[in-house]
Amino acid sequence: MTNKEKYKQAFSVLHTSDISEGEVKYMVKLRKQQKMKLAAAAIAVCVIVGGTGTAYAANVGGIQRTIQLWMHGDQTSATLDLNTDDGSYSLEYKDTDGNTVTQGGGGVAFDADGNERPLTEDEIMEELNAPDVEYLDDDSVWVYYKNQKIEITDKFDKDNVCYVKIENGDETIYMTVKYQNGYSTSPDKYPDPRSFN
Amino acid sequence: MRQPVQELIERYQNNLYAIAFNICKNQADAEDVVQDTLIQYYTTSKDFEDEQHIRAWLIRIVINKAKNTTLAFWRRNRRSLEDYIETLTFENPESENLFEEVLKLPEKYRIVIHLFYYEDYSVREIADILKLSESNVKTRLSRGRSLLKTALREEWENDE
Repeated sequence: MTNKEKYKQAFSVLHTSDISEGEVKYMVKLRKQQKMKLAAAAIAVCVIVGGTGTAYAANVGGIQRTIQLWMHGDQTSATLDLNTDDGSYSLEYKDTDGNTVTQGGGGVAFDADGNERPLTEDEIMEELNAPDVEYLDDDSVWVYYKNQKIEITDKFDKDNVCYVKIENGDETIYMTVKYQNGYSTSPDKYPDPRSFN
Repeated sequence: MRQPVQELIERYQNNLYAIAFNICKNQADAEDVVQDTLIQYYTTSKDFEDEQHIRAWLIRIVINKAKNTTLAFWRRNRRSLEDYIETLTFENPESENLFEEVLKLPEKYRIVIHLFYYEDYSVREIADILKLSESNVKTRLSRGRSLLKTALREEWENDE
């Protein structure tokens, strides 16, 4: 036997558990929802720490809005259907190729007493317009925030963490990005990379 | 071109798993990495030239994700490598010996060795996938072979 034949024989014992296309699609959907929940928790923390006594909008059930949404640096019109009873939403817009894109999500936040409540319209809007990270197929990495597009490909440290300060008028956002392993933002300081994911 | 995810799963899931396992040395981590890679294929808008382009792209992604997993701050408490190897059914003791010796190699040699001997990639193709120079790949291949030869003696041929 050649070395290649021996090698292939040795490693042919490795078999992964069966994966289905349905499982892959389900995981994509699940991750979008998880991302929404994580953002909601971060918002809740800001409210508690700030202690500003923010008043939340009254629960008025289903709402439909046409909104202006920043998608990867481009502003586009989108139709947003909100259900403030459970904090869920669905969003429909056209991408740069003119294809209709539909996405949904939802989540909960916790008030100062630790009680769970649905996200409000303002919180969902804040999440939809939050900074986003994209990993392109040419291995470059980009942060998008409203009309800003920042390349961070070469900005990761030896621990694969990148710290990005985004300024937009009077607003400053501190962002910590773990390479292909999530990100977190704060208006006050860079989130500790150990505090998420 | 794009290929349905199901076709890629049927064709490549075990190859991707073998690569991921080669790096992670952990069944659960390797399975997570394969799933993450397929999710990335499903969500990417990239247009591929042909099936070989897709295969090389999947391998590059699975290697990057597996490396990231090994660098993670936390590692889940999972079954040890030795326990997992005991569950595998090798055709003969030489195969098991080879398997174990490959996993003892430094990671940078292991990946190159695996792509050459298991995936049948050429030095140039491996250099392209790993973003290394061809001379660097040749060096790693040569050192990996040399370590295997030392460990396996007559069970490993001189094939340089």
